Amino acid sequence: MNRKIAKRMSAFVPLTLTAALLAACSGGGSGSGLSNNGAASPSAGGNDGSSPSASAPAADSGKPDTSKKVELVWYVLGDAHQDTPKVLAEWNKRLEKDLNTTVKLNFTSWNEWQSKYNLLLASGEKVDMLFASSWADFYKYAKQGAFMDLTGLLPKYAPQTWEEVPKDDWDTATVGGKIYAVPNTNPEYTPNGIVYREDWRQELGLPEIKDLDSIEAYLDGVKKGKPGVTPIGGKAWNEVYTLFTDYYDFKVYGGESGVIASTSYDKPRDIVVYPFTSQFEEFVKRMKTWADRGFWASNTLSSQTEAGDLIKAGTGAVYWRNAPGAGGFITDVSKTNPDYKLGYFPYTRFHNYAIPTLPMANAMAVPKSAANPERSLMVLDKLRNDPTYFRLMTYGIEGTHYSIEADGKTIVTPPAGATVAKDWKNYDIASWGWRYKPNMLDQKGSWEGLKALNEEFAAEAKPNIFDPITMDYAPVKAEQAAVNQVIKQYGQPLMMGLVKDPDKALETYRSKLKAAGVDKILAYVQEQANAYFDEKGIQ
Amino acid sequence: MSLLRELARNKVLFLMIAPALLFFTLFSYIPMVGVYYAFTNYSFEGGLFGSRFVGFDNFEFLFGSGQLATLTRNTILYNVVFIVLGNVLQLICAVFLAELPGKIFKKASQSVMFLPFFISFVLVGAFVLNLFSSENGVIPTLLTQLGLPEYDFYMHTAPWKYIIVFFHIWKGLGYGTVIYLAAIMAIGDEYYEAAKIDGANIFQRIRRITIPMLVPTFILLILLSLGGILKGQFDLFYQIIGQNGMLFESTDIIDTYVYRSLAVNFDIGMGTAAGLFQSLFGLILVLGVNYVIRRTNEDYALF
Amino acid sequence: MKIKTEKSTLVFNAAGYTFLTILSLLCLLPFLVIIIGSLTSENEIIAEGFKLIPDRFSFDAYRAMFTNPIQIYRAYEVTILVTVVGTALGLFLTSMAGYVLSRKDFKFRNGLSFYIYFTTLFSGGLIPWYILIVNYLNLKDNYMVLVIPGLLSAWNLILMKNFMKSIPDSIVESAKIDGAGDFAIYLKLILPLSTPGLATIGLFMALAYWNDWFTANLFITSEHKFPLQFLLYKILASASVLKTNIAGNLSPDFKPPTETLKMATAVVVTGPIILLYPFLQRYFVKGLTIGAVKG
Repeated sequence: MNRKIAKRMSAFVPLTLTAALLAACSGGGSGSGLSNNGAASPSAGGNDGSSPSASAPAADSGKPDTSKKVELVWYVLGDAHQDTPKVLAEWNKRLEKDLNTTVKLNFTSWNEWQSKYNLLLASGEKVDMLFASSWADFYKYAKQGAFMDLTGLLPKYAPQTWEEVPKDDWDTATVGGKIYAVPNTNPEYTPNGIVYREDWRQELGLPEIKDLDSIEAYLDGVKKGKPGVTPIGGKAWNEVYTLFTDYYDFKVYGGESGVIASTSYDKPRDIVVYPFTSQFEEFVKRMKTWADRGFWASNTLSSQTEAGDLIKAGTGAVYWRNAPGAGGFITDVSKTNPDYKLGYFPYTRFHNYAIPTLPMANAMAVPKSAANPERSLMVLDKLRNDPTYFRLMTYGIEGTHYSIEADGKTIVTPPAGATVAKDWKNYDIASWGWRYKPNMLDQKGSWEGLKALNEEFAAEAKPNIFDPITMDYAPVKAEQAAVNQVIKQYGQPLMMGLVKDPDKALETYRSKLKAAGVDKILAYVQEQANAYFDEKGIQ
Repeated sequence: MSLLRELARNKVLFLMIAPALLFFTLFSYIPMVGVYYAFTNYSFEGGLFGSRFVGFDNFEFLFGSGQLATLTRNTILYNVVFIVLGNVLQLICAVFLAELPGKIFKKASQSVMFLPFFISFVLVGAFVLNLFSSENGVIPTLLTQLGLPEYDFYMHTAPWKYIIVFFHIWKGLGYGTVIYLAAIMAIGDEYYEAAKIDGANIFQRIRRITIPMLVPTFILLILLSLGGILKGQFDLFYQIIGQNGMLFESTDIIDTYVYRSLAVNFDIGMGTAAGLFQSLFGLILVLGVNYVIRRTNEDYALF
Repeated sequence: MKIKTEKSTLVFNAAGYTFLTILSLLCLLPFLVIIIGSLTSENEIIAEGFKLIPDRFSFDAYRAMFTNPIQIYRAYEVTILVTVVGTALGLFLTSMAGYVLSRKDFKFRNGLSFYIYFTTLFSGGLIPWYILIVNYLNLKDNYMVLVIPGLLSAWNLILMKNFMKSIPDSIVESAKIDGAGDFAIYLKLILPLSTPGLATIGLFMALAYWNDWFTANLFITSEHKFPLQFLLYKILASASVLKTNIAGNLSPDFKPPTETLKMATAVVVTGPIILLYPFLQRYFVKGLTIGAVKG
């Protein structure tokens, strides 16, 4: 059978598992939604009108030498589109003329991308640039020396980017005083929230969703009024977990896998193990009543079905999404189920503030084994800043894959006048790492609500003071491993209200956490966080 | 020098086995230096040999967990059941397939039994959910239709042991049967002819000839499986149980435990350490069992 | 001599047919469900689970898979080529080494058996193996990487040795007296006598090559070199990722189904290789040894 493979994997367990990871908790995906309520100082948004070219200092010290022809190897996440080779050929044609360089673009593909990513870095393979992200272990890799220090190279080889990226953004890519990546420049908000059936809410005469009680009333109303519907179908963990952290304003360290949290935005130094709080106790008791009333199924922790798929199938009523994700989902449903009316409730409304996404959530980095880091940075500089390069790589070929509205800022897909086959696929690529807001185009036909939401978030934005704390948990990794598993085994069933006796289960959970060494992790996080707060003058 | 003399005498035989030895040296033995990861605090800067040596620190999350004994016991019990029950069933199937008349039936059922091999564990997971789901699963629905009290499989740990064993054996049935079938085919006809002349009926022939002739293969397959007794079938467990802490009590094995521990912050050193523990355990077990078998009957031993 | 059907044989046959029929049904039924499921509409599967008779048929899953048919055909080509070359070469090396290890007069057979078996117990893990193949053998994105690492497996080799052990020593000895060399004995005598073993191991190797998506996932970067299993696995993985938040920013108009796609993948992959099996069954015949000794 797969003995050969099994053998290899046994010594490198997570490999067998990363496919599962993706399926299980949408891996980095949920991480990105849960943990980077991001760091950019809001000023980043206001800044991008500055004209960098005027002050590019590198120009006068002589252009970098490009007399040698170079082929770069780049890696991005995901898979190629069937037209990617065509687009890339076009792109390389220009690049060869301008910089005497071509790029071989490789894709990690979505299956097992974490392990492949790990291998690329660990093996020292010649890779000149790859996607990097706070949710793809950027800080850990950087601390362990996987990336090249770019501090000295940037002003010379990526002068425009060096100018236009705000200092606060560079700070999020800095570890130990050295810059290890080029963060994207696209201020955005990705708070948690739930998509729900607005049409059902109205039909059943349920209160407008604005707080926890109205959410409960909605779930209850749907359960009773719509037989055959499980309000949160499939895997309901994301919905419930994010509800917990955002309702109580816990700022959890280490994403959903952590149990250490600041008790609120306003009290960053009040760091606790949240399962030991009274809020947690209150919450799990409430969730027990929710589970007993059938708001989700007893197999929810084993299910691999997305709650969103069940909404589309007509048997679900709630779906956790971050705001842009909700936009995508609602746009999608408007095509598959035009008779539905969906609503979105962002959890930011529990406490009326929003935090921008950490710029380092999407970035490009150079592995330390790169053969041509200088040239790679030059190409990135071009890609981010030259609209021709940016559009070609990001949106495909104009006229074939898209066309531009008269306003010059909105793209239309499929392109105007094109006859489209039934299986037309939008050109797409995981372009997140090189985004530069001024060059980005809007998509026609996307959900209107997102704009209003973004305005709402921008108006109540507070600076991100949590995500830039770069911890790799190295001194406590044994304890962290033990705690991770305790959360899965005892914490999740408790939070999902599946246990028979919440009091007893809570007691077990707490004692298991203690035994796993959670206090040692607490001390570590407190020390690291406080050092950061001291440095930044946050009280 | 006996080695040189032996080399000279059996030159051709050595040449014939040389490619295999070279292959395993290159693809298995050379990469084995990687077990050293288990004793280092890995850093990308240092790589394999430049990272700091930390002794047995990486094993701490296993031995310090207080769960290792339970996990080891679970893993071994599951594997023992998989191995013994699986082999016995495969053997029975092979015997029937070899002895029954009816060519078309045999060919068809043999092919059909191979089908589960192609069904990925992801799909098996989907089946299980469809069968046992509390919402409209096939089996709970059936139970209520039969007038039995409602039973929620996902709130009880007991049935899952059997469910996992069932699907494991189901998946490997066709695969294992082929091995035994091939072994039966190698038994000389003369034995059966002689037995028939002696008036032995079919049950006697199977008991006296087929089974004894299959014992070496049976022992071999069990020995081969023993080495991996602490590893195992992560996909099977993960796709059926998933992250359902409710069911871990009877369904947690070392691989799933290590996965949960390291899924968030993967550490090369700790991952390797877990693999090393599993390997060492398997090695000691195989060496022990092989020694006993060698003392009993040298022909059955693995090496 | 006339063979009359004894009572015990009747009992045996009845038991055998019942037993095998039940097992066959248990194996066949899920596969039927998969075939039907792959033709059901995605929403129905999600809302109501598997059924034997769906309300609405749909070819969405196959459409999603065949959006780029040329690529699928190309992937079939790669897979078939890799499977044929790998199995042929692997079978040759395995049988040769297995034969040497099965020779009772070969002094180092136990030591070398252990040397080979030991590799199933210990492994350095993925990283050194990857470094070896990429940095030292330079096989990244090379067709050979799909073939070479799978050529030999300790498990198959030891199984082969076991099959060959049952060939009587007398055959080898008499051939030696006739002056035949070791390689000639292997080629002319042992191989023809080992057909059930060869068929079994050959089947296992072919299955392993056919099902291997993992090697391609690690080492193959050019789309036109993708084997079938990897291509399908990739299609499936990207279909599911499109639903998670990680890809929240990718918004293709075409969202492929995932549940039915899983099943369609199983159907497409299983089809051709299952044809191999009935073909191999002809090699599972008795009485080869007898014939050789007499002849």
